[in-house]
Amino acid sequence: MKACVRLFHKPGVGRVSKKNRERKYGSGEVASGGAETTKFYWILGAVAVLGVGIVGYSVGSKALSPTVSEPIEMAGLDDPDELMQVARGVMKGDPNAPITIIEFADFQCPGCGGFATQVGPLLDAEFVETGKAKFLYYDFPLVSMHNHAFLAARASHCAEDQEKFWPYHDILYRTQPRWSTVQNPASLFEDYAEDLGLNEDEFSGCLKSDRHADVVTANMQLGYQLQIQGTPTIMVTKGQGVGRRVTATLEGIREGIALLQSGE
Amino acid sequence: MTPSAATSVGALERPLLRPPPRNRMVVAVLALMGVFVALYLLAHSMGLIPLVCGVWSCDTVQSSQWAKVGQVPVPLIGVAGYGSLLVLALLGIQPFWKDSRGIGLLMLGLATVGVAYTAFLTYLEAAVIQAWCVWCVTSAVLMTLIFLASLPEVGRAVQRR
Repeated sequence: MKACVRLFHKPGVGRVSKKNRERKYGSGEVASGGAETTKFYWILGAVAVLGVGIVGYSVGSKALSPTVSEPIEMAGLDDPDELMQVARGVMKGDPNAPITIIEFADFQCPGCGGFATQVGPLLDAEFVETGKAKFLYYDFPLVSMHNHAFLAARASHCAEDQEKFWPYHDILYRTQPRWSTVQNPASLFEDYAEDLGLNEDEFSGCLKSDRHADVVTANMQLGYQLQIQGTPTIMVTKGQGVGRRVTATLEGIREGIALLQSGE
Repeated sequence: MTPSAATSVGALERPLLRPPPRNRMVVAVLALMGVFVALYLLAHSMGLIPLVCGVWSCDTVQSSQWAKVGQVPVPLIGVAGYGSLLVLALLGIQPFWKDSRGIGLLMLGLATVGVAYTAFLTYLEAAVIQAWCVWCVTSAVLMTLIFLASLPEVGRAVQRR
């Protein structure tokens, strides 16, 4: 302040142009309003650090996360032989059953949820448990529409590692409305595994990795090659014959099987 | 210091030693927050991160047809808008510019456009998309506060005429 007083007592200071005065005494002004300005820059700095931290952490943690939740690049899947070595459905029922019911499905698709919870138990009772047919489930996550479908498919294969694919399949479809709407369903998937008594560490280790991403990707590719457009797509086949597409209802499947058995 | 000296020094000091306008400091802090909110939404629209959204419906809003203007994601417009406001506010508190009427009015003009656009986006959320995104609402609140903090520029401009 003392220095300022001396400055303004200089004779002739009033005749200095505004521009020159500001240039000359600009630093003095900052010093005067210094406390407030300093406080402002501290607040601005804190907001900057916090913002960079939050946005940086969000982007960085996603980038570094080993959890694979989308199809992976795989060479050679255009070759049918190679594709069939990787693509793999999950089977239920007697492996020697003459008829095979094949489903291509997406865990996040409501239609598949309806099929699994309403038609599935009836199919099991009429065809699978009686040994008339076996059921083969292939992943076909519609990743452009359903953001968690790929991860859910991988989670189901992680449960398959512990021989609980079908209970996990049922639980995923039953709880579909819940995990479909959350931002990150991984912790819910872990909860469901825990509910089924799976080894939690093993399941989490599988989920937070790229395990089974190759199978799910290959199953999707198989679906594309079969020109599957939507889910659920149901086919019935006898022996090594080409699958016959049927309506995803109990009646549709009955009709398809009847036609196969009659040799049509 | 004698009373007469104090009076004369005070009169001379007032215009020169006055601290930078507080409202511009407030705008700068709010605009910086807005930049980060917009960057966060932009990172999501680029598929880099999921949004932390709680019970809100961020995905519904972000995946709607209104999330882009042509090919430009709305959050990118937000980054540009908040970034410009931040630059103007920071310039406006520098000793050389703190009395600048032009910078203040430019800031107010941009804030007015920003608050009008934000009001339109909020209307879309409420009436058309019928879903709310917590980050969009945060951005709307920030822009409204920026607009309110810019209003003293009108008085400052009138005063200096």
